[in-house]
Amino acid sequence: MSGHTEHSAPTGGYEPKIMAFVCNWCTYAGADLAGTSRMEYRPNVRIIKLPCTGRIDPLFIIKAFENGADGVLVSGCHPGDCHYTTGNYHARRRWIGFKHLMEFAGIDMRRLHFSWVSASEAIKWVDLINKVTDEIKALGPFMEYKGLKATEAEQG
Amino acid sequence: MEKTLRLKAKELLESGEVKVVIGYGWNRSKTRTTPVFITDPADVDTLVWNPLCVNNLSLYLTRKYKEIKALGRPAIVAKGCDIRNIVVLITEGQFKREDVFIIGMTCNGTVYKQDLWKGELTPNIMPTKCHNCDVRNPHVTDFVVGEKSTFTPPEVPTGMVYDKVKDLDSKSQSERWAFWVKEFSRCVKCYACRQVCPLCYCERCITEKNMPQWIETSAHPRGNLSWNLTRAMHLVGRCTFCGECERSCPVNIPLNLINQKMIGVVKEAFDFKSGYDEKTHPPMIVFSPDDKENFIK
Amino acid sequence: MADKILKKADLGKLIESVTGKGGRFVAPTTDSRQIVFKKVKSAEEIATDYILARNSFKEFLFPQTEVVAEFTLGKDTVDMRGVEVHAPQTVIFGARPCEAASLKGMHALFTWDFIDEFYTKREDNTVVVTVGCTKADDACFCTTVNLSPASTEGADVYLREAGESYTVEAITDKGKKFVEAHAAVFGSGSVKADPLVMPEKIANIDLAKVSERLKDKTHYDDKVWPKLTRKCIGCGACTFVCPTCRCFDIVDEGTAFEGERRKNWDSCQYDTFTLHASGHNPREHQHQRWRNRFMCKFNFFPEKFSGKGCVGCGRCVRVCPVRLDITEVMEEFSK
Repeated sequence: MSGHTEHSAPTGGYEPKIMAFVCNWCTYAGADLAGTSRMEYRPNVRIIKLPCTGRIDPLFIIKAFENGADGVLVSGCHPGDCHYTTGNYHARRRWIGFKHLMEFAGIDMRRLHFSWVSASEAIKWVDLINKVTDEIKALGPFMEYKGLKATEAEQG
Repeated sequence: MEKTLRLKAKELLESGEVKVVIGYGWNRSKTRTTPVFITDPADVDTLVWNPLCVNNLSLYLTRKYKEIKALGRPAIVAKGCDIRNIVVLITEGQFKREDVFIIGMTCNGTVYKQDLWKGELTPNIMPTKCHNCDVRNPHVTDFVVGEKSTFTPPEVPTGMVYDKVKDLDSKSQSERWAFWVKEFSRCVKCYACRQVCPLCYCERCITEKNMPQWIETSAHPRGNLSWNLTRAMHLVGRCTFCGECERSCPVNIPLNLINQKMIGVVKEAFDFKSGYDEKTHPPMIVFSPDDKENFIK
Repeated sequence: MADKILKKADLGKLIESVTGKGGRFVAPTTDSRQIVFKKVKSAEEIATDYILARNSFKEFLFPQTEVVAEFTLGKDTVDMRGVEVHAPQTVIFGARPCEAASLKGMHALFTWDFIDEFYTKREDNTVVVTVGCTKADDACFCTTVNLSPASTEGADVYLREAGESYTVEAITDKGKKFVEAHAAVFGSGSVKADPLVMPEKIANIDLAKVSERLKDKTHYDDKVWPKLTRKCIGCGACTFVCPTCRCFDIVDEGTAFEGERRKNWDSCQYDTFTLHASGHNPREHQHQRWRNRFMCKFNFFPEKFSGKGCVGCGRCVRVCPVRLDITEVMEEFSK
């Protein structure tokens, strides 16, 4: 049974902040479809719409963590479906590099997700958000990154 | 070798084929080498060649150095590893192959840092790159100086950098995080790593963009992490492992580890090694519909 | 006071005595294969065999980055709050005579047209204990700028190596009070100090001539500048390790609602240092930035503040990725 049929309201307590960088043509439309179809899903995700996944600079992700995101999701059109023909192929190359870099730097990869969600995949979107939210909720706040400030105070 | 080098430099300058020879010279006390720019054929005896010639001079060919460009067509004294950077610069359209005269030096290795030099080149003072070098006989040149080297690099790359990368890979995510936060915490944001990198040729670096301020200029752990990750990301598929960034780092941050890790990733994912062929595009500006990954859900 | 001694074996007691009163004890210690000034907790951490620490101890008086104010933005309001200066009692141990000589100029600058409490409060609470050098390398040039391992300028307490002890000489009142406050640790007795090692004075440099020639500003567009400094790559490493460099930048960090104002080290070697909002840059080329640094060391700064612009520690020479040696430029300007 897919997650979108379950009604699970937030249980109170800690609620993670999740940033989603999505492309205009597929994932955003997919999320929109979920909304117009009145599917319910976890409200923890803040969506930022970009023209194409090719526009998603890795710095956006670093900046999101810096500004307090507990998790980041990046999503766009399936390979072959890019509105601009090749944007997501470029993005995929970049993500391969970036994912390994973040992993090597010691970022918990359960906090950084990549996916392809098309305009018709509202159900996939809902399941994805529910899964990601629950996983990050279980992990708790991203204290390692937030704690970088405390590290500074210690040094002084 | 020095004699051949000087003769060639003289010939090039006298004939007007080049206007400046970028090479190595001694400092005052003849204990260190330093970049020199020879424009007068009478000065060619300043040029030297020895294992202290660590600098990657291809840096001076980039567009950041307008005054050097203004001197006219350059000839550059380059080791194989430096030539790899020149090749990347050509593939990225920074200049054309014919815009530079490459004097390739056959090389038996250099010291890791000039301070280590005690008069003799021993394996323990050589950087990892030299132990695995496959361009001791320079690969893209207009003129070669020196006897052919018979060195063959080991089949599987070995050395401190590879060992440490492997060691870090085997550690847990939180151990790696702790390692890098500690290493980066020393960063003083002097940007020597960027300035010395021949491939960091942007005239306006992202760190200097302040509307918005993408990378915090403060040298606190958060700003340092964001700078160092961005620097590494911008070199993916381009870095040739010349090691200048780590050599120049005044606080000894092991930047070679992160660079070598990403070189490994690029090799694995795209079967690409940068700096060998001036006609192949670097992997991050092209793509293949068949790129494989296992993490995009 | 000259008969006071400090046994090396008692360094631990001195550290305890300082930290016991809530102070911080800063000394050269080994970190990542380098000798670095850092807060230490025990005598074992203190490095003994070194020429100079990688960093100047200025960062304990003038940190690389510090919060000077905090702000909250409302709909039509800006709430700006000052922050308290973090100025713990500090002992800088094992500084070299050259770097201590930078303090006079630092003080003059930070108390010039505005009293910068972030500096002065720390300065008030800091005791600088120098140790005369028994080692030097080919980058050291203190004797060329009229200092030496025997200089006590800027030091509160001056020590000299004497086998298993140090001879102790309190220079300033602050230094005398420090020795009195930790009287139990300092012994008395007569020991013979080890000889100091004087770096050789660079023969072709005449400091008076350098400053004389720099006074005549016609050298500004001289070809000698690009010729000498063409290789400079424009990193700020020299300025960041320099004990007399003290330029900073004020930046705001935070979100759209709140944040902090920080004072960060800056460097005259960056092109953004002088870049105007209009896009014009009065120091467009790297050699002009380098000229500025040289002028600051030997002309503007000594003239304005009668402090030392350059103390000859040689850090900039050691750290330079292209080995651009300031003394070679001094030599040129001594001609």
